[in-house]
Amino acid sequence: MDKNYHIFSDGRIERSEDTVRLETEDGEKKHIPVEHAEAVYLHGQVNYNTRLMSFLNDHGVAVHVFGWNDRYAGSLMPERGQTSGRTVVEQVRAYDDPEHRQRIASAFVRGSIHNMRTNVTYYDSREYELDGVLDDLDAAATRVGDAEDISQLMGVEASARRAYYRTFDAVLPDSFSFDRREYNPPPNPVNALISFGNSLVYANCVSAIRATALDPAVSYLHEPGERRYSLSLDIADLFKPVLADRLLFRLVNRKQISRDDFREELDSCLLDEGGRETFLKEFEETLERTVEHPELNRKVSYQYLLRLEAYKLKKHLLTGESYDPFRRWW
Amino acid sequence: MSDSPVSRLLATARGDAVDDPFRVTGVMMQYYYVCERELWFESRNVEIDRENPSVARGTRVDDSSYGERTRENLRLGMISLDLLEDDRVIEVKPSSTLTEPARMQLSYYLWYLDRVLGVRREGVLAHPTERRREEVRLTPERREKVESAIRGIHGIVTADSPPEATEKPYCESCAYRDFCWV
Ligand code: SF4
Repeated sequence: MDKNYHIFSDGRIERSEDTVRLETEDGEKKHIPVEHAEAVYLHGQVNYNTRLMSFLNDHGVAVHVFGWNDRYAGSLMPERGQTSGRTVVEQVRAYDDPEHRQRIASAFVRGSIHNMRTNVTYYDSREYELDGVLDDLDAAATRVGDAEDISQLMGVEASARRAYYRTFDAVLPDSFSFDRREYNPPPNPVNALISFGNSLVYANCVSAIRATALDPAVSYLHEPGERRYSLSLDIADLFKPVLADRLLFRLVNRKQISRDDFREELDSCLLDEGGRETFLKEFEETLERTVEHPELNRKVSYQYLLRLEAYKLKKHLLTGESYDPFRRWW
Repeated sequence: MSDSPVSRLLATARGDAVDDPFRVTGVMMQYYYVCERELWFESRNVEIDRENPSVARGTRVDDSSYGERTRENLRLGMISLDLLEDDRVIEVKPSSTLTEPARMQLSYYLWYLDRVLGVRREGVLAHPTERRREEVRLTPERREKVESAIRGIHGIVTADSPPEATEKPYCESCAYRDFCWV
């Protein structure tokens, strides 16, 4: 798979012959080999022009922009190479059929709960007592099938996630107490790490969906329009425990990230540049990690699992064959 | 007029007004013998991204994999011939693996020329790299085989779902592999 390139510094990024050149404010120059780039992530204040945009567009490279507070701000997506009227028609048709929508949305929730559960089991078998969390997750899992509409399903998902977040307080050191999930702005380091991790998973799902002819704005569990790429929200939920949360635990428990890596302001807490660099380096390594795929009989990267998820959904929509959500199997 | 797939195909080819046009290309005929599921995907334009190196290893029966060869590419309605030489239809294939699908593709061309355009031709299957040529004639048995394939293709492409995936030696190099098997 192609790589993600992250740019932290302020500066400008431009086309230079057949590559992309980054010039930081202190005059340092770097090149990004565009033919091996999946997406460029801009975390700093970066200037660019239309010439760069059309160049990236020609090479099918997306740009994901992280704005103030390192919140995901949006993506500049290359014009899609893949378009298929039929795919979009089927995608919308499934959304429009309440029973079908419910089936797909339930699959996302089942998969998410399973993947949260594997994280909890992993830590439960160590020194932490997490039986209560496991019970709550199992209870939520059995309620998925009873949900009568999307909002009830959302409720089940939310209660599972609440239970799951209790793991964070148990597993992380006292200096990283969590309390509860809050977004805007994140009030403490753990919330800041979760937000950052989730937005990276989300942006990678945007890139994965782009590779199919699926319309990223038509979603099932989340309401279309909740965000511009709401289908990414659906798929990202499946992968957050695998790609982001496990990483967070590891980085904090091995003290690769400490409280010094955060900037605390009045009511918000954010990773500073060094902290983000540490997180991202490990995040990208996680994406490149591979696992033996039981059906494909070869190793695939975690990043490619996102792509496969988009294929699976597309296949379900076009063929009527069942959609089984990603469940961590290893 | 009977509404069998064969007559519907002929009506479509002749440009008659048909409610439900039915087309069969040479590639579809080949896919019918290689993988019915792939035929269904092709007929529905199910595209998966080919830019990705891990899946772009190649559709083995797709024309694009035989890039360098020069060809005339004579388009006649639904079919497109590689070349005509001494009045014979030449179909060039890079290797003699999957010979039967190629033979049926060529037989279909001969059938089409005969039934749609009223010209009788003989065919040659050429494997330039192996310096092998094989003559293909539209015998009554082949004619029947072509027509029964047309009926089979019709059944597949009009079904709501594709035939189930079954493991084949060429799945390994198929562009749909990661789509099919996950
Ligand atoms: S992967 Fe195998 S079963 Fe699937 S379309 Fe290709 S050849 Fe057919």
